[in-house]
Amino acid sequence: MRNTFINTIIDACKIREDVFIISGDAGLGVFDEFKNTFSDKFLNLGVAEQNMISFTAGLSMTGFKVYVYNIIPFVLYRCYEQVRNDICYQELPVTLVGIGSGITYSPQGMTHYSVEDIGIAQSLPNMKVFSPTDPIEAKLAAKFSLSSGSPVYVRLAKRGEPNIHKNETFDITEPQLIEDGEDIAIIFHGSIGLEVLKAREILKKDGILPKLISMPMVMPINGEKLFLMLRNLKWVITVEEHFINSGIGSMLSREYVKANPDWKLSTLGIPDGFIHAIKDLDGMREYFGISATRIAEYIRKKATV
Amino acid sequence: MELKKSQISKEIRKTIIELANKSKSPHVGSSLSCVDILTVLYFDVLNLQPWENRDIFILSKAHAAMSLYSTLARRGIIDEKLLNGYYQNEGTLPAHLDRFTAKGVEVSAGSLGHGFNMGLGMAFGFKKKKQDRKVYTLIGDGESQEGSIWEGALFGSKLGLDNFTAIMDYNNLQGYGRARELCSFEPVKSKWQAFGWHAVEIGGHDFNALKDAFCEYTQGKPKIIIAHTTKGKGVSFMQDQLIWHYYIVTDEHKKKALLELSDI
Repeated sequence: MRNTFINTIIDACKIREDVFIISGDAGLGVFDEFKNTFSDKFLNLGVAEQNMISFTAGLSMTGFKVYVYNIIPFVLYRCYEQVRNDICYQELPVTLVGIGSGITYSPQGMTHYSVEDIGIAQSLPNMKVFSPTDPIEAKLAAKFSLSSGSPVYVRLAKRGEPNIHKNETFDITEPQLIEDGEDIAIIFHGSIGLEVLKAREILKKDGILPKLISMPMVMPINGEKLFLMLRNLKWVITVEEHFINSGIGSMLSREYVKANPDWKLSTLGIPDGFIHAIKDLDGMREYFGISATRIAEYIRKKATV
Repeated sequence: MELKKSQISKEIRKTIIELANKSKSPHVGSSLSCVDILTVLYFDVLNLQPWENRDIFILSKAHAAMSLYSTLARRGIIDEKLLNGYYQNEGTLPAHLDRFTAKGVEVSAGSLGHGFNMGLGMAFGFKKKKQDRKVYTLIGDGESQEGSIWEGALFGSKLGLDNFTAIMDYNNLQGYGRARELCSFEPVKSKWQAFGWHAVEIGGHDFNALKDAFCEYTQGKPKIIIAHTTKGKGVSFMQDQLIWHYYIVTDEHKKKALLELSDI
């Protein structure tokens, strides 16, 4: 996802004068080719995130379309107030590209996890937030950002994820039906999509065929479209590699209260709390109940009661 | 010219007193402190024609917004009528800067340690675009305790931003005490020099010294003008008094202050 996103931006540089990339000393190897071809459109602003974001805001005000690349804590947490005041408050078309969504970097430790970034982004008016599930969604999110007049935040996992979508001709701002199904729907965003797909394969053997819906744009949430897709269902489950208390599960809960639909809602994800467990990504997903087997197990148990 | 500027700055100070009294808003001392700096900038230094290619002034210590609004009005950039809605219900201008409220408010600011860095980004952008536009940013001495200032200081010199000038309004009185007593503030000038900046130290109410400092060309280096000022400058009972960071200007205060400012 990471490389697809960045390559889409680099391709745009070939035809646009205004695109500029700022890194906060992150992404070794990602920009090697870019730096050689477009040395005047790239700047490493070092380990100084407050300056990085305010500087970006100023650069944006002179007419550049600026991308800021860093791991998520350093585009959104360390410099939250700069993002709030200098980018969002001033309505600047800056794109923050955050790498290492959720617990991608397990077991690097809590400082490197991004399990509350969507919650934080929700508190930022004017911000459009994307959490692509595969390289195709990442590419379309990149294209959206290139033409956006608003601030954009894109949370990406890493590189090397396979494609889930079969075509590239969809509206990235809308929820996407990945697999049709009956009675049950699973809504997800980000790289956990692969676990959800595998969970469906497991459930298939028991004759359970949930609908799968990817939500690449997590803010603002397109509730109307989503609820149309959820008509006539009995149960909706959100699965995300994010704190349950502030991700799409919680956003959907708010929509749920307004719409009062017939279906039940369950939210799977990471419970809020500092993570001290030391496991690789698969182990961590298993631990938090969001691996393919744990998702399938959860659904099978409840669906067959 | 000297007399004219002193007259202009006196008028701006009067407007600040009127605004502070009408609005019952704080920061009158902070606003009076930087009037002479703004007067020199707006009446003798900034290139404002054509407007779309103007030099940029950023009030990073945006709690002194009354000073900026009054100067913009005196310079004819904003309509004086806008001042009537300063800090009022259904008003026009907030106590800290919102760039969507008035022409000439270049950035939204109010939290310290942001405007300086946005200015660096703008200066870099103008250089990239090969535009001959300069950026000036006024920071406070209290503001200079923000880590972001020193992050920016590290990169401003590296990037050779000689189209960028920071002015430190060094009145040595922040919200709750003296900058020099609160932290290891001094030596300020050599700190900036060590960061690779061209640093000059002058009297911040000396119009000629300010003009000279602004006009000095510093090839390849950003500039900081450490301007020694007096908080509350121009009104005897406010000068160098801590309370006037927050105190409200009553009708009585206003009367006394305007009387003093009427004396030439």
